[in-house]
Amino acid sequence: MPARSLRAHLLRMLLPPVAALLVLGALVAYYPSIEPATAAYDQGLIDVGVSLGTYIRASEQGYRLELPVQVDQVLRRDSYDSIYYRVLGPSGEEIAGDEGLPGPPADRDWKDGFLAYDAAYKGQNVRAVALPAQCGSQSCSVLVAETTVKRKRLQRDILFSSLLPEMLIAFATLAIVWFGVKRGLGPLARLSDEIKARSPGDLRPIDAAGTPDETRPLVSALNGLLEEVAQASRNQQRFLANAAHQLRTPLAGLQAHTELALAKPVPTEVRSELEQVHQATIRTARLANQLLALARAEPGARGNAAELNLKSLAESEADAWVHQALARDVDLGFELAWAPVQGDAFLLREALANLVHNAIEYSHRGGHVTVRTGRNGTSSFLEVEDDGPGIPAPERERVLERFYRVPGTPGTGSGLGLAIVREIAAGHGATISITDAMGASSGNRGCRVAITFPYG
Amino acid sequence: MRLLIVEDDAPLATGLRRILEAEGHAVDVTSRGEQAVLAAAQERFDLVILDIGLPQMDGFEVLRRLRAAGGDKGGPMPVLVLTARDAVEDRVRGLDLGADDYMIKPFAMPELTARVRALLRRSQAHGGPRIVHGPLTLDTVARRAFLRNEPLELAAREWAVLEVLLGKVEKIVSKEAIIQAVAGWGDDLSPNAIEVYVSRLRSKLEPAGIKIRTVRGFGYMLEEYKGAAN
Repeated sequence: MPARSLRAHLLRMLLPPVAALLVLGALVAYYPSIEPATAAYDQGLIDVGVSLGTYIRASEQGYRLELPVQVDQVLRRDSYDSIYYRVLGPSGEEIAGDEGLPGPPADRDWKDGFLAYDAAYKGQNVRAVALPAQCGSQSCSVLVAETTVKRKRLQRDILFSSLLPEMLIAFATLAIVWFGVKRGLGPLARLSDEIKARSPGDLRPIDAAGTPDETRPLVSALNGLLEEVAQASRNQQRFLANAAHQLRTPLAGLQAHTELALAKPVPTEVRSELEQVHQATIRTARLANQLLALARAEPGARGNAAELNLKSLAESEADAWVHQALARDVDLGFELAWAPVQGDAFLLREALANLVHNAIEYSHRGGHVTVRTGRNGTSSFLEVEDDGPGIPAPERERVLERFYRVPGTPGTGSGLGLAIVREIAAGHGATISITDAMGASSGNRGCRVAITFPYG
Repeated sequence: MRLLIVEDDAPLATGLRRILEAEGHAVDVTSRGEQAVLAAAQERFDLVILDIGLPQMDGFEVLRRLRAAGGDKGGPMPVLVLTARDAVEDRVRGLDLGADDYMIKPFAMPELTARVRALLRRSQAHGGPRIVHGPLTLDTVARRAFLRNEPLELAAREWAVLEVLLGKVEKIVSKEAIIQAVAGWGDDLSPNAIEVYVSRLRSKLEPAGIKIRTVRGFGYMLEEYKGAAN
């Protein structure tokens, strides 16, 4: 279905009836007012005819019109129209006036002692009246006609003066529809603004208060959908929690017993096997954690976003990292400043933990790892920098892919850590950048991974 | 010390029991929350290691009952919570209910034993006049310190800083936290001043094998005593 504007649709529907009403209204106003106006002009012609009739004289030769030139001029004077007349004798003989001026149609009855009719004379449309005149004992007839200039003008004036208000009303109607629809759709616009402003994890029902009755079905349908999505998300969260429990508890047992065995005096070859088992256990545990984190970072599985400070987040995790760093003889440092973000604490913690873990893992003994948080213009950032071998520029895109490891990298990583960080950053609308360390010393380029969150 | 392990996964429970017995503790194990609540009501344990994911009565409920008035005999027992769940809410809830520490499965045994030692030490020190850390002893009533049984001279602020660090062995204590704890003496303390006190403490304690680690840009951590330096 093509996109349709409700406004355009309403206007299209309204335009024909409004136009028809406009024409009808004009006609209804026009005809009642054109009648008396025409009659007034006709009366003027009759007056001329009556005056002419008084100048008919009878003699032995017949009838004559004794019209002084001045009177003729006065009778024919008109600002707009040409006036014609013709006087006929009792038997229809020509007495005086403009020859050939057409008489009244034969089928019309005389009314009020005169007859008004339309005719053509000298190639022009004329309006004419015929009326009787006393000539001796008999009756002569007088025809007076005039061209229709002022009548046309009057018609136009009347039509215009009735049409103008009609058109104003019509335009007002259309304008009211145009703006009324926009106004009427205001609650819908507010509704869509509210939905647009939501974070992806916000699945709370939409508040139907303040929305018009007509949009209630839409709101309740949307809320139904939101509830289903939220339910699916809760189910997934529950599944993840259960999966985590099911995976981690046996791994904890395995790790405990391996470490117990390693604490006993065992033959060297068995010890080396046990150490392999121990390493594999730790790796499996980490992999399980990462897969769960990855699943949690998926859209739809996200928890609730809250106002957080990356500084506090880093501080609360520092204990765990320091022991990790000590075990590898890495100097772990912090440069923490206030860095507010809106996000999921679990996921951000996970992202930070992955970055710190990588930095410690790939540092040489005696290396330095620094965790920074802070503000930069309108964004908050967190970054982890090490002075290890770094990541060559051509590999920087690929290391963010799942299971990708830079060829020749020592250690036992799964290649998931940075992929998790990327997912989490994307879910927070944040960007990742991988660069050389700021104070890169000779030999090692170091690595600095920064996540920048738009905030404020 | 007398320890109670509440864990329904048999291999893990056995592993934990053996490790803690090897540390010299008397260890009881139960797989059910109801039994844990009963046992704690009848006997005094120095530490409870509690799994959250128990069948029927879960760990949160056990913790709530232990912390409810009269739920545990002879004063509050330290509780170390174990969980396979990593939701932040779980962690917060556990700590809100009165857990003393929190570990996510799986964990390395040295870390578990270190935390157990720290919790036991803290509960022993709780209200007690003496704090012992390897060869170092602080008599908090007489305000006298001894190192290898020899009197140790400590300035008032050195004493205060050391007391804060001893309260959180193996944990990072931020400089701000140290300043706040020491600020009772009136005038403002700069982070630099704290560095001075720590460096004086180091020169006095390191010969006896007691190490204060600097966590760059954050604070300090008193390491667990691992024997005298050579």
